[in-house]
Amino acid sequence: MRRAGIVTYLIAVVSVVVLCYGTASAAKKDTRKLCADCHKEVAGFFDKKRVHKPVAGGQCTACHNPHASKHKNLIGESRDELCYGCHKKDKLLKGNVVHQPVVEGLCLECHASHSSDKRALLKGAEAELCFGCHKKENIEGKKFVHPEVRKGRCTTCHDPHGSTLEGLIVKNNMCISCHKGGSKTLRTAHSGLNVSGTQCLSCHSPHSSDNRGIIKANVHAPFAEGKCNVCHKQGSKEIVKADYTMCLDCHENSMQSFYKRYSHLMAGKDDNFCADCHTPHASDERALLRDREDKTCWQCHEDTRSFTHSARYIHPDLKKCLDCHVSHGSNARYMLAAGDNTCSMEGCHPSQGRFTHPVGDDAIDPRSREPMNCSTCHNPMGSPEEFILRAGKVMELCIKCHQI
Amino acid sequence: MYKVSSNIVNIPRLRPLVVALLLVALWANGAIGAETKRVRLISLIAIDEFMGRLKEPGGLFYDGTKKRLYVADSGNKRLVSFDEEFRYLSELSHRGFSIPLGIVKTSAGEFYITDAKTGEIKFVDVKNKAIVPLKIKGLDGKKKFVAGRLSLDEKENLVVTDRLNKRILILKRDGTLVKAIEPELKGLYGFSDVKVDSRGYIYAVDTIGRKVYIFDNTGRLVRRFGTSNNKLMRFPVSVAVDSRGYIYVLDRHSGRILVFNDKGVLQHLLLRKGVSPGELYNPGYIYIDGKNRIYTIDGNRVQIFLEGD
Repeated sequence: MRRAGIVTYLIAVVSVVVLCYGTASAAKKDTRKLCADCHKEVAGFFDKKRVHKPVAGGQCTACHNPHASKHKNLIGESRDELCYGCHKKDKLLKGNVVHQPVVEGLCLECHASHSSDKRALLKGAEAELCFGCHKKENIEGKKFVHPEVRKGRCTTCHDPHGSTLEGLIVKNNMCISCHKGGSKTLRTAHSGLNVSGTQCLSCHSPHSSDNRGIIKANVHAPFAEGKCNVCHKQGSKEIVKADYTMCLDCHENSMQSFYKRYSHLMAGKDDNFCADCHTPHASDERALLRDREDKTCWQCHEDTRSFTHSARYIHPDLKKCLDCHVSHGSNARYMLAAGDNTCSMEGCHPSQGRFTHPVGDDAIDPRSREPMNCSTCHNPMGSPEEFILRAGKVMELCIKCHQI
Repeated sequence: MYKVSSNIVNIPRLRPLVVALLLVALWANGAIGAETKRVRLISLIAIDEFMGRLKEPGGLFYDGTKKRLYVADSGNKRLVSFDEEFRYLSELSHRGFSIPLGIVKTSAGEFYITDAKTGEIKFVDVKNKAIVPLKIKGLDGKKKFVAGRLSLDEKENLVVTDRLNKRILILKRDGTLVKAIEPELKGLYGFSDVKVDSRGYIYAVDTIGRKVYIFDNTGRLVRRFGTSNNKLMRFPVSVAVDSRGYIYVLDRHSGRILVFNDKGVLQHLLLRKGVSPGELYNPGYIYIDGKNRIYTIDGNRVQIFLEGD
């Protein structure tokens, strides 16, 4: 009996080992011919210049399960997990700024899974792929185009997977890796000034512009006229006055727009509060804003950024802060451009208050004792509820005022 | 583009360590264990058949001797007074009140306001019904002085924030500069509010920097607290101090009052976000009187609270 038990045990062990070995060797087995019997397209994979390594080795089962899968095309795992099985995520994502398709595991948006004539098994020319999402006219649609952009070499400056830098920029001081800082050419282009150490993108667009030198679209008047000494000491980068008084020398009238009940009149990051939002040379944004509207505001309103980013529903124009808010000051709460009528401004919501629930002085919120307006029920900055409502649309919102 | 902290979170072995560190950090900031204490709503001032409706009031002051509450009703360009039970008494309107913001009253019965429309401090001559801008003497004229919030120190000097210059000025009531507190500190964006306790210690809040600053009566910085990552102190707009030395920080975005001890350690929280009476939705100003009653300005209403049941 005891001997029979040992034999049974040995048979079981050997069976398991054989089964495992068999499975492992099956994975390595060249199944190309077998698969190609039915999948005629397989032959075409080898017509391209570059073939994905498992395809070249005939290891179809490295990615596909020959029997069944819960994923499309009998893929063994979800798309990103499958790719990361060989292409290590840590190596691909070099920082915490990650390209959105990578976040969403959409590797195959850019890469072909079997073969390609392009490097890195790209599905098409580099720029073509990028312009699939990033509007071409915004990038190279202007008169003067950066040579690398013209050549369609986006990856000269951007890492398509991940980076430690905003805009997926490959490295710090990117520009000077080609445009040598302090070089004679660079000095000549900058009225003899040594511009090494300055932020190139504070004046230049990295892609294209209608201005010579790819200077950004909107230019500060003294800069456009070459009157550097209005703000800088002659022949120097040093500025004449370190604080806001330099801006007020020309823009004294702007101060009046700050003298309101609610105002951005505050010292700010450095001594010149104007420079917290505006750039003194050139910008692609209106009013010479330092960055895109929302990004400029979020420099200080970090908590608002965080709130809106976590909201399930947001106002579609949320990033256009200045469509609703005034940048300098307003007598209306939240620095709204038209107080309670902001929503109907510029024809955005012309029916505001004309149908459904009444608003205004005849409709007092029993909780706050204030006249109702759109924001009594909607939170334009974001909400977990549909229509950016402040509470669920099925009763929950209504019973806040209407007792049942 | 999308920011993720994938490098840390994707290493499962480190997760417990990260969680533990976060808990320690939250505990150190007082975020864990800070309970919300009960407060009693004593009064709510918003609308009255004689007074009408308050409109974006900017500041208030309680005169403990006369037992009068004075509110700078900014949107209506007037000062409104209330009795000790917070019933409307009278008002003072004047074309000189462009946008009254801060308000104080001295023991001699003199009113001073700050005006958001002109950036000036103004003396309110009640007897002659005149509003006189205060000339600041002894101040370096290179920088533009824009008056913000106003308070009185123990000697009844005017203590005012200079909105453009990251400084607090202490002025005699005739406008002569006594002292300028101008700390050169990294991470300071400017002072949004200022209050003074009975010892002459000055408490100021920096909204964008999310910090509270405490200066002694010589103007020396003795403490600053609050961190830029503190999820509790999200958008601190106003500060007050009670007779026990507790510091009350009004947080606009969370609709709460954070109560700290004089070491900057969070003791407890008061109130919650909402528009109903006893809640705060978009508060802008806090004040505490000699009886430790808490006054808040939130939109078009003033609410008065007392801690406890």
